[in-house]
Amino acid sequence: MEQEAKPSTIREDSRHGYFMKQALAMGEKALATGETPVGCVLVYNDKIVGSGMNDTNRSMNGTRHAEFLAIAEMLQTYPKSAIRETDLYVTVEPCIMCSAALRQYGIRSVFVGTHNVRFGGVGGVLTIHSDKSIDPPYPVYVGLYRKEAITLLRQFYIQENEKAPNPRPKKNRALNTTFDFENEDEADDFMPII
Amino acid sequence: MDASTHGSPAASMKYVVEAIQPLDGYVVPIKSIQEVNPPEGYDDAYVAEVDIKSASRVIKALDASFPRDASALPLNHLRRFCKRENLPEPVRQYVDTTYPQKTSMAPSIFVLLGISLPDMEGVRALLEPFIPVPRPRSRASQEPQETASTPSTPEQSPELLIFRTKIPIYPPSSTEVANLWSQSLWPVTFNPAASRSTVAPNPQTLNRDQKSIEPRAGYYVSLAREVALEAKQSGRGRGVGAVIVDPRIEAQIDEKAWEEGYDSRERWPQAVVAVAGDCRFARAEAGGPSQSDRHDNVGPNPACETYNSDYEGGPDLHALMRAVELVARSRREAPENETDHAAMACQPVVHTDPQLSKPHQLSALERYFLYDVGSHVIDDESTSYRPSPDTSCQVSPRKRKFAAPNPEAAAESLDALAETELPPSTSLPAPPPPPLASLPPPPQEANGESEGRLPTSRIRSRAEGGYLCTSLDVYLSHEPCICCCMGLLLSRFRAVIYPRAGRLKSGGLASGPIEAQKAVLANGDANNNTNTNGSQPGEDREYYGLHWRKELNWRALGFEFVEDEADENFPPEEVAFHA
Repeated sequence: MEQEAKPSTIREDSRHGYFMKQALAMGEKALATGETPVGCVLVYNDKIVGSGMNDTNRSMNGTRHAEFLAIAEMLQTYPKSAIRETDLYVTVEPCIMCSAALRQYGIRSVFVGTHNVRFGGVGGVLTIHSDKSIDPPYPVYVGLYRKEAITLLRQFYIQENEKAPNPRPKKNRALNTTFDFENEDEADDFMPII
Repeated sequence: MDASTHGSPAASMKYVVEAIQPLDGYVVPIKSIQEVNPPEGYDDAYVAEVDIKSASRVIKALDASFPRDASALPLNHLRRFCKRENLPEPVRQYVDTTYPQKTSMAPSIFVLLGISLPDMEGVRALLEPFIPVPRPRSRASQEPQETASTPSTPEQSPELLIFRTKIPIYPPSSTEVANLWSQSLWPVTFNPAASRSTVAPNPQTLNRDQKSIEPRAGYYVSLAREVALEAKQSGRGRGVGAVIVDPRIEAQIDEKAWEEGYDSRERWPQAVVAVAGDCRFARAEAGGPSQSDRHDNVGPNPACETYNSDYEGGPDLHALMRAVELVARSRREAPENETDHAAMACQPVVHTDPQLSKPHQLSALERYFLYDVGSHVIDDESTSYRPSPDTSCQVSPRKRKFAAPNPEAAAESLDALAETELPPSTSLPAPPPPPLASLPPPPQEANGESEGRLPTSRIRSRAEGGYLCTSLDVYLSHEPCICCCMGLLLSRFRAVIYPRAGRLKSGGLASGPIEAQKAVLANGDANNNTNTNGSQPGEDREYYGLHWRKELNWRALGFEFVEDEADENFPPEEVAFHA
């Protein structure tokens, strides 16, 4: 993916780091309410104009991902054309649905915590942000607060899913706190956004 | 609104729906990307000629001395033996010219040894005893011309015939490809039961579901177009429509019609659990007027004529996304969910689709299928449609497992629905449904006005086992955009169907150009055919085949509806947009 910057090129103490921290806070909120811990914020003119967290369980709608909620919030105050000057900070790579939606909405650029090899639409599985399309492409930067984003997901997936038909006991599971980014299998350590 | 004003739009919608004519045509499964662009690769493999009678001993000897490398590509699709007369034509010509057949020899057969032979001398030594030998004298003497043609060769020891030939290293993707390779390279077999479920749907499942979808597909696609037309004429959106159908209600309608001996067609609308039209121009951004507010709302919105992303509203206002949200909303408002909902009131669900927040903003057709079909068209008793999961379990799971190919779906539709929804036939007046005059008053108008309780919805609630859009089918007027494609996977639809005439370059379901799907089979070289962009109008696009990607966790069956004749009311779209 040509437009992907290396994580080291974006410093965590920069303004990008600040906004990703806010996205992580939304992810924490999702975790606290039993949703898959993915959070995001939309930033327009250095200001957070929309924020979202995964909301699929409560809404009983599998398409209610963080990105859609953030955009809906922004559009209550701003016209759609403002999205062309807006950046997205999201803890986990947008899924294919959201990657396509962001392109239709004309997002300016997307900052991602960690890749999603199961559903990711900006490099994880497909490259919707840069494929041939009737809308302009957008650049993606991956790796900002990657460990924090992964830890959030791990915290979620060591929980038992009481709603599952056959909940799997996970009492003996401990939170994995090691990171091995050289190992490609690292990505399999957590589950996809669903 | 009183009962009469409510009744008349429902009645007029009833006539609209009754007037919908099924399209004539058929459905075609959309191939997966891997089927259209199968991994292709060739290599040279060794082939040797052995005595036909020794074939099984040759295999035993080879397997014992040269066990297959477990890390190598499996070559199970290649036949191990081939008779000289069955060799593919190019191979046979080579063999016949290089090693002419000697009629004095015992019948032989060609054995495929493998791509690499680490120990060529060892192989030669191993096969030495199995080289075809001259026929026994007694049999040869019965053929007079043979003695003349082979007078002096018997004393020469026969030599092992061994050569290399090109073989396909991946299994064929279809019987057509298998035949092609068998005629040009080496005999191969196509095994549809091989574990390739990530590459393509199980053929039995695909076949079964295609058969259940085909008879009504023309009707539901036609209905999707009616919904599309309504959306376009309202000025609120582009002409795109979505129809969500419950196959279990379809099966139940068919069964009942068969039992009672009437045409099930008049009840097909009952299997529709929700319809939704596009309303991308209706979003009021920043509290201002929407595109459709600026328009006089009579006839198509002028924004339809071009593609300007500022006017497009967003994919959450697309038909499929709205239909999915209508199903979700129905669940959220189910009585059993009320307490949960109160607890959530401090943090209300964000309606990303502003048009869904107030029931009166639904279109006439959307309202009709959400509120009216259940009470007006189905028999009265069916308003108590509440199949409990418990009743479906009266038959033991084990028994159900062997009773039907898809035990869960079949059991619930045949057992649970039959018991709970179908009233006893004695109390049931014969169809067709009672005339409008005798209809009961419309139910719970007040509820419909407040947050849109769906009193007679056929959308199964959570308690009834309903979960997202699991086991539902969606019919669309157009090929959905990439966003909606993934949305339908995340919603767990069973199948998606759209008319081939509704393909869009921005779509995410088609897996290749229409013509190339045949051309692939004609010359077996998929890559050359499917990657030619822009060679034909409308094909300057990416092909995703998102319904069935091996990379993704969720998959749905995908079908294109091919009309026998083009419908002049729905010409191919001239403007590229996201449906």
